[in-house]
Amino acid sequence: MDINIPIRKNCITALIGPSGCGKSTLIRVFNRMCDLVEGTKTEGIVFFDGENICKPNTDVLALRKKVGMIFQKPNPFPMTIKDNITYGPKLHGVKDQKELDEIVEESLKKAALWEEVKDRLHVSALSLSGGQQQRLCIARALSINPEVILMDEPTSALDPMATAKIEELSLELKKNYTVVTVTHNMQQARRISDYTGFMYLGRLEEFGRTKDIFENPQNELTKRYVSGIFG
Amino acid sequence: MTPDEQSVFKDKLAIDQDGIIEKGLIAGISPRSIYNRLKTEDRAKLILTATVVITVAVLFFIILFISYNSLDAITQIGMWEFLTGASWSPGSGAYGASSLIVGTFLVTGGAILFALPVGLGVAIYINDVASPRVKSVLKPLCELFAGIPSVVYGFLGIVVLVPLLLDIFPNHLSYGYSWLAGSLVLGIMALPTIISVSQDSLAAVPRSYREASMAMGATKWETTRKVVMHSAVSGIAAAAILGIGRAIGETMAVMMVTGNAANFPEPLWNIFDRVRTLTGSIALEMGESVHGSLHYSALFLLALVLLVIVLTVNLSARRIVRRTKMKMGEIAKPSRETKIAQMMSPITKSFEAVSDRYKETAVKIAIYAFIFAFAFMISSLFIGTYGGLAIGVLAATILFISKKLSKMLGPKHVQKVVYSSLGVVVLAVVAILVVFLAIIFVRGMPAMSMDFITSPPSHSGAEGGIWPAIVGTLELMLGTALIAFPLGVCSGVYMSQYAKDSKFVRVARQAIDALKGTPSIIFGLFGMSMLVIMFGWGYSLIGGCITLALMVLPTIIKTTEEAVSAVPAELSEASAAMGASKWQTISKVVLPAAMGGVITGFILSVGRAIGETAPIMFTAAVAFKTTVGFALFEPIMALPYHLYYLVSEVPGATDNQYGTAMVLMMIVIVLFAAASLIRRTYNKKVGW
Repeated sequence: MDINIPIRKNCITALIGPSGCGKSTLIRVFNRMCDLVEGTKTEGIVFFDGENICKPNTDVLALRKKVGMIFQKPNPFPMTIKDNITYGPKLHGVKDQKELDEIVEESLKKAALWEEVKDRLHVSALSLSGGQQQRLCIARALSINPEVILMDEPTSALDPMATAKIEELSLELKKNYTVVTVTHNMQQARRISDYTGFMYLGRLEEFGRTKDIFENPQNELTKRYVSGIFG
Repeated sequence: MTPDEQSVFKDKLAIDQDGIIEKGLIAGISPRSIYNRLKTEDRAKLILTATVVITVAVLFFIILFISYNSLDAITQIGMWEFLTGASWSPGSGAYGASSLIVGTFLVTGGAILFALPVGLGVAIYINDVASPRVKSVLKPLCELFAGIPSVVYGFLGIVVLVPLLLDIFPNHLSYGYSWLAGSLVLGIMALPTIISVSQDSLAAVPRSYREASMAMGATKWETTRKVVMHSAVSGIAAAAILGIGRAIGETMAVMMVTGNAANFPEPLWNIFDRVRTLTGSIALEMGESVHGSLHYSALFLLALVLLVIVLTVNLSARRIVRRTKMKMGEIAKPSRETKIAQMMSPITKSFEAVSDRYKETAVKIAIYAFIFAFAFMISSLFIGTYGGLAIGVLAATILFISKKLSKMLGPKHVQKVVYSSLGVVVLAVVAILVVFLAIIFVRGMPAMSMDFITSPPSHSGAEGGIWPAIVGTLELMLGTALIAFPLGVCSGVYMSQYAKDSKFVRVARQAIDALKGTPSIIFGLFGMSMLVIMFGWGYSLIGGCITLALMVLPTIIKTTEEAVSAVPAELSEASAAMGASKWQTISKVVLPAAMGGVITGFILSVGRAIGETAPIMFTAAVAFKTTVGFALFEPIMALPYHLYYLVSEVPGATDNQYGTAMVLMMIVIVLFAAASLIRRTYNKKVGW
């Protein structure tokens, strides 16, 4: 592994590359979700707020509260919409019903879902459409006020309309949060991200401003990938 | 091809404008071969359907025979008097079953009260904590203990548990045989089922739910408690109710340790009192009652009541599971809402909003109330009402403090505490079961000798051997297998491959589920009234085989259906794409691939069948027989019944009791080992 990547605050950083290149693995290091896979070994250093989060004694629970994650397939819990949102705050000690209600409204508004679901907060989250489910997952991640949001191919299971909404939402989110997104879709990276890293076979081949990566790549591999010669 | 055949053929294919069939022009395949194929196809489907019809008919006949035989009791005693009467004393003509019904529920309730939390705990441990290696030991162990015959559990209850309870509570137990003993034995018996069913449903929760929760900073235990258990709740409820259904219908073990006094405990929560269950009464008294008498009919009425209770429990289980699934959006709600529901919808909605707010408080209050009541009831038996109240308050306070404490400890430490206590529970459960096995084998060893195995019993079984019982059990096993295998496997294949959502299939599914939950003693009564009395066969090997076969039929159907459905659709598609007919695909591709699972399930069910006592004690088994031979219409000796007979009727036959139990266990273990060997070989071969 040879990766050296800066994640800038209030920007969208996109990771692109062919399947199996290690994008998702890398992003899962950022909130130590990689620990869930049996026999994982990490080497190297990831700094977040001046701390190396790869140290064994890192408080991963506190880390994950600050670094939220959106998954490839929408994975709302089989509970009501409201219970999905209040899950995280309750976990971290919020008890007051009023406060919880406020969090629900605020998170759903931030995720651009409030208008669609405000009248049916008590129905099962599984009754929502795929795109709505993914926005609910974003609202759920926002409910505990993270600083960073990791998105692991958040639109790969969605149709073009829903994808457009999520992209729009990402642009809105970067005003308050730092976003790292992994995507298969080069055009998506080009549309929404400020910085792009191109990965290949577990190595970060090139990193830079999105405009530079797509219009003036320095690396031969990157050039061939972004111009669609391989991938 | 005869004109007759041709017309059938034309009907089938509905193409023949150009005389293709007469000229044999379909891709060079002769019309005759196509015709034969269609005929085989029809026949196969017909045979499979017929087996399903038989299964449905069995349930129908069981209900018919039990109801018919209880008619006398209904008309002469009256349903109301029968259900509410407090005194059960057939000798003096008193037939009030209320104490038996209450006794059944008390024993079952006590069993579930301890088996459900313990079982769920073990399931969580297996799912969350256990390493793959520990898992690979615990899961088969569970299966093995589910296979221990109920009469053996009863025997262990008598020789281990009852003396133990007498030692612990010398002042409160006059006999040792008690509600407490019954519930403990029943709970231990129910554990393996509860563990494996709830572990399956925990494991079925999608990994993505876990990930979503962990990504928000929840610990593993928080995730399990709040997300995984929430999602698995329908499966866990099913496990609980399945356990209850089975416990209500359990006969031998309960009858052997509850003391069988037909009265209400005094006070009603006195776990040290003796109680009697519905199943116990039937099994105890059926042998003494005269065929055609009121007593005889009253026992059938007990069976009918039992059947109704069990079917209701199982039916409500299915409804609960469906409703939870609907609520969680896993299955669609019925699209048509009734007018009333529409009118009520604003009300229900606001109710939901309110209930949501107070749900947690309500649950909390319920938990405290339960803990208080439970602590009060138990402790008041020892130290009186006031002492009980004090202990109740103390228990609730401890719960309160421990909750506060857990908040102070932080989620990580709570997880450590919870998982290590679960580890202790697992160790305890494993230890109990291993000790049970060890006792049988250590105490059974002295009885083992060539003589014991190969000679017939003498002195009512106190001396001599068990050869006729071994032979009888093996004959029963063979006969049961011969009847149950074709019926069960064919029905299973039908249910998996041919069943569509038709009325017939729905009825068949319901019937199979109902039969699966039907207590074994009901099969015994059915076999007795139809085969022994109506057909006039008397106690016979064939009667026992048929009864046992009917009993295991639904389980074999289910396991076959599961194994066949597990074959990947790609395989049958590949076969169909080469022009194979449906039956050709099933017989040549699907069935061979599923055979490992089918046979494993089959052996396990037969293993369970031969350990059963209740179904054969009124249809086939006698206490004493010296000759050995294969005579279909002769009564037989069988190991489980022999063990029951020795334990209940022959005091001082200790060595032979342990020896019989050991031989029975050995047969069960051999079958079990064979099943898991086959499963392993097949899994390796097909690899899914």
